[in-house]
Amino acid sequence: MEKSRRNFLLGTGVAATSLSLVGYSDTLKHTLTLSDRGVKAKDSIYVNAALPECKVVDGDVSLSKKFTITPSVCNGCTTHCAVRVKIDNESKKVVRIFGNPYSLLSSDPWINYKTPLKESFKLLSAYKESGLEVRSTVCARGNLVHEKLNDPFRVTKPLKRVGKRGENKWQTISIEQLIQEVVNGGDLFGEGNVEGLKAFCDTKTPLDPNNPDYGPLANKLCILGTGDEGRQNFIVHRFSLGFGTANFMGHTATCGLSMRSGEAAYLNDFVKYPHLKPDFEHCEYLLNIATAPAQAGNPFKRQAKLLAHARVEKNLHYTTVTPTLTNSDAFAAQNRSSWVPIKPGGDLALVMGMIRYIIENRRYNEEYLCIPSEDSQNKLNDVSHTNASHLVIQSGEKEGFFLVDEKGEALVIDTSDNTLKPASLVLQGDIYFEGEVSYLGENYSVKSSFNLLKENAFALSLDEYAKESGIAKDTIQELAVEFTSHGRAVATDCHGGTMHTTGFYTTYAIMMLGALVGNLNHKGGMSAGGGKFKNFDGAKYNLLAYKGKNKPQGTRIDRARKPYEKSSEYKRKVESGQNPYPAKDNWYPFTNALQTEVITSSANEYPYKLGALISWNANFIYAQSGSKNLEPLLKDPKKAVPLFVAIDPFINETSKFADYIVPDSVLFETWGVVSPWSGYLTKANHVRFPILESPNAKFANGEPISMDSFIIELGKALGLKSFGENAIASKDGQFYPLHKPEDFYLRAFENIAIDGKEPVSEISDEELQICGLEKYIASLQSICKENWRRVAYVMSRGGRFASKQSAYDGDKMNASYKKAIAIYNEKVGTSKNALTGERYSGTPKYYPSRYCDGTKIKVGKNGYELLAFSYKSNVLSSATAALEKLREIRYTTYIDINPATAKKYGISHGDEVMLSSFEQSIKGIARFKEGTHPLSVGVEHGGGREGEGAVHVKIDGKSFEGKIERKSGVFLNKLGLLDHTKLGIATLSDFAVGSNARQAIPVKIEKI
Amino acid sequence: MSEEKSSVKRRDFVKKTSALLGIAAFSATGAKAFSLTNPGREKKDKRHIGQETKRFVMVMDLRKCVGCQACSAACKNENNVPKEKYRTYVPEYELGVFPDVRKAFLPQLCNHCAEPSCVSVCPTGATFARKDGVVVVDGDICWGCGYCINACPYDKRYFNPQTNVADKCTFCAHRLDAGLLPACVESCVGGARISGDINDSNSEVSKLLKQFPATVLKPESGNQPRVFYIGLNGEIQGLPFSLGLLDDKVKQKDGLTPKEWSSKGV
Repeated sequence: MEKSRRNFLLGTGVAATSLSLVGYSDTLKHTLTLSDRGVKAKDSIYVNAALPECKVVDGDVSLSKKFTITPSVCNGCTTHCAVRVKIDNESKKVVRIFGNPYSLLSSDPWINYKTPLKESFKLLSAYKESGLEVRSTVCARGNLVHEKLNDPFRVTKPLKRVGKRGENKWQTISIEQLIQEVVNGGDLFGEGNVEGLKAFCDTKTPLDPNNPDYGPLANKLCILGTGDEGRQNFIVHRFSLGFGTANFMGHTATCGLSMRSGEAAYLNDFVKYPHLKPDFEHCEYLLNIATAPAQAGNPFKRQAKLLAHARVEKNLHYTTVTPTLTNSDAFAAQNRSSWVPIKPGGDLALVMGMIRYIIENRRYNEEYLCIPSEDSQNKLNDVSHTNASHLVIQSGEKEGFFLVDEKGEALVIDTSDNTLKPASLVLQGDIYFEGEVSYLGENYSVKSSFNLLKENAFALSLDEYAKESGIAKDTIQELAVEFTSHGRAVATDCHGGTMHTTGFYTTYAIMMLGALVGNLNHKGGMSAGGGKFKNFDGAKYNLLAYKGKNKPQGTRIDRARKPYEKSSEYKRKVESGQNPYPAKDNWYPFTNALQTEVITSSANEYPYKLGALISWNANFIYAQSGSKNLEPLLKDPKKAVPLFVAIDPFINETSKFADYIVPDSVLFETWGVVSPWSGYLTKANHVRFPILESPNAKFANGEPISMDSFIIELGKALGLKSFGENAIASKDGQFYPLHKPEDFYLRAFENIAIDGKEPVSEISDEELQICGLEKYIASLQSICKENWRRVAYVMSRGGRFASKQSAYDGDKMNASYKKAIAIYNEKVGTSKNALTGERYSGTPKYYPSRYCDGTKIKVGKNGYELLAFSYKSNVLSSATAALEKLREIRYTTYIDINPATAKKYGISHGDEVMLSSFEQSIKGIARFKEGTHPLSVGVEHGGGREGEGAVHVKIDGKSFEGKIERKSGVFLNKLGLLDHTKLGIATLSDFAVGSNARQAIPVKIEKI
Repeated sequence: MSEEKSSVKRRDFVKKTSALLGIAAFSATGAKAFSLTNPGREKKDKRHIGQETKRFVMVMDLRKCVGCQACSAACKNENNVPKEKYRTYVPEYELGVFPDVRKAFLPQLCNHCAEPSCVSVCPTGATFARKDGVVVVDGDICWGCGYCINACPYDKRYFNPQTNVADKCTFCAHRLDAGLLPACVESCVGGARISGDINDSNSEVSKLLKQFPATVLKPESGNQPRVFYIGLNGEIQGLPFSLGLLDDKVKQKDGLTPKEWSSKGV
């Protein structure tokens, strides 16, 4: 008995034991009272099941006339899977959501693009059991996400706040009034004058004459987005840049920026920010660190499918290094899967230890690392190359830069004759060179990139790395040996577990393991993604370009993409003989965007104060660790954001602080073009179009209000060139109007349809009818002219997809990453921390967890002995608050704790506990979970909501009571720390890139 | 769990499995299931008779299960399962003691047994096995006495608070009868759920059961379940055991009324 007590049922109350007890009393009660018959089921045998969408008899498919099945894109998490939606023709309601079998995000193998639609239903059926192989799935969220469409808390009319910010009291207003007020401003709330957008819709006048480098007045508008669900290009290129502001930011800073920036450093591209994923299917050994495929990640469902397949049908073995035991593991997978528990934030030391061991024992692929250029790679018929042999200047003005020739090409020492030559002329460069070289009469002291990496790796002994990571030295060695024992079919995966103060270097180090074996672009190794057919900028149109488009100018509100050393502030200090360091706050020269810095920066007026904030489905208050501290800054319009417009179908934790809410569409009601984020090897584009009628209020032209239609009308009211007549140009010089979203998106679909040597086929009348595209014929014919049937073909398949066979050429991935892997990243190695002037390491290096200025974060001080972390849920997501059926599957979230740790604090399974960080406390229920690192406590992300129907809202005097189940659970981000070494109220972040630090928060736990 | 114990367990259930497969009683349910009158069956209604030459079973290849609950969600939606009732669900377990802990998942649904005890206790003939082995309830006949609910050793029946009769998984008979796959199978992300006709020796289920040792839940029940598990850990074969159902505790603490959360809330 004692033993089986160890077998904890995790989570939810749907255990057979409870069903038994409860079921019994149900029936007892019923029998005793002989209560009357209930509502008769639709069918005596099938009960209340949905009618099937088709029948397949002996291979003949007959589709039901009661339903239409149309492709779309899911919005239940950030993977954005391709789905097919079964809609009842009479009620127009969603009956069910399936996967789209043409798409690799829902099926693998996916069906050939040319498969007739009818045939696709046969392939999914029981006929010859083919449905078992091509089954096209949706996850738990995806199955139930349509509940959101009809949620009583959905906002369908424009709202304006009454009362103070954040009081959650609203009145409905017309969209025309909203646009008028937002554009022109005035005394909008009886709190004094508010500047409208018109006041700073100006790309000529400097925002701050003393700091001309801040750019024009237009930068006073900041626009926040979320993950790109298919419409981000529209708002960025047509609205942000039409307006002329440099300030657009997506959600990456709260999502996985540490991972993205570390991989961008490794791939040496801080503009496109490319990133890598394992080739799960052919990988032999996979090391998951700070992430867990099948538990989470993007693409969540595809990764889970591939992992499950590869560990059973293929040769995959894998180790998952996480503080919590995740669904990557399964007992039934036996020795294919193993778990190495690690304390939160311990990853960097572990991986640096592995790198040290691999280098020390020469277990790296030397020949590969010596390939200095793409030319040499091609000559040697290899799949990728690195800058390991490139030489980094060690002193003088050029310190930290590569030694290059006059054309900018790297110079390396040729191993065949030990002379200095341009990398393209050398087959094997010396990766161990260190010393003086002379070039064009000048002497340089240089070190190879590889030697710099080696120096950093050797900075600590293996014993020290073991101590810092908490991982035994033997385990570090075993992992290093295993990783280097499978040739190049090995891979690493990392993600949100790196969102701590040294996450950037953690990721960079994890990726570096791959460079040591040469897994980039190699079958079974790492892929930068399969790419896409040309969409917004294609053969017929460049929809992102138009006359009068502005380039982003000046300094961003988040101080990203720019070094402090280029600011007027720096120059002034230098000119006046002052030490330029510290700056007032840190700058982030190789970071793309920091949603997390916006409110703080504006409140600090550093670099400047914003005039207005437009958020589009952004919810940083829920996503950002430590955001509770930002609420006072949002509540007072004078502090950070004088005007706040939220475009959102729900009032969430962030949009409740808005002045106005513009209702956005939900799920399948809108247009979009999106490709998989990563984790695929062949071209794929998904399209979404409005397959359901939006319940939202409409504009005068009949267009329902959504982000797209709103920014078109707002843009017109501001006189932006990006909307209205002649706003779209074709590549043959014709002009077209942009009045409705379809004017933009159908043309993007057209680009996709005609891309490449062979455009897609033309759709038949029968197929138009099967997937309900008849209602689009008029628009298709008027916008896409002779291509309309090809565009409809793309729509009928939910996008365009290359075949699975196009993935490889021998051992090489066809969609290959071309640039050199940065063993040393010059941009990083020549950048400085603006608070201290410290030069960042250009190669992975161990840094203990720290505040921005280098002060160590103390664990254990005053009883803060445990490290809190959050992990992504396989069921809940930030987009699922309104899904009550999903809450039947995962009701709530807990504070997970190892029973041995709990015992130490006198805590029992199910006790109410208080968890406190240096800043805040939260309450929750402790759940014993053996698979939790003893030095940590974990929380599944997705519970503890304070928006989207979880709290009381008043609209037009009518009250809507918040729903208890939406509020249930633990919301760890409330505990997030502040960084007091930064300016004002700043949430803790990675010291180099500014990504939000939500992991490894020192906490103490007490029983209440 | 230690390596040694694990291999012992493994041998154990392999033995049980081979014994079980030795019976090879895959034919349709015995006559006693048909002992009472039922108008639908007498009229040879296809919904009652099923697909005469077939015997539907399901194989859970646990090596591929990732515990994602897509099946649970798909089932709830497809079958309009009432609030807080479940025809299928996947409890998650942790086996062992830190640091030697493993995750285990146990997808469960009606076992569509060859000897279903729910059928033999039904006083009205409302519940019966079709000729293809699918155990169903005729809601027109059932008067909700609940004997079947108590008789199921797997707790896979529930009282439907809307129809006031017994209710359960039908293997998505409405889809099977249309030549389609059950919703849970279609939606299984890892490809762990495999359904098919055990009478067809070329079917995927037949091939899997020939190739791999498989077992059933509570083999001692005598019901001869027809849902088979590959890679099941013996420790959870006897169905869930937990220290208490935390969710229920939280629901009470949150202030939900029993009507709002409990299965009793009808």
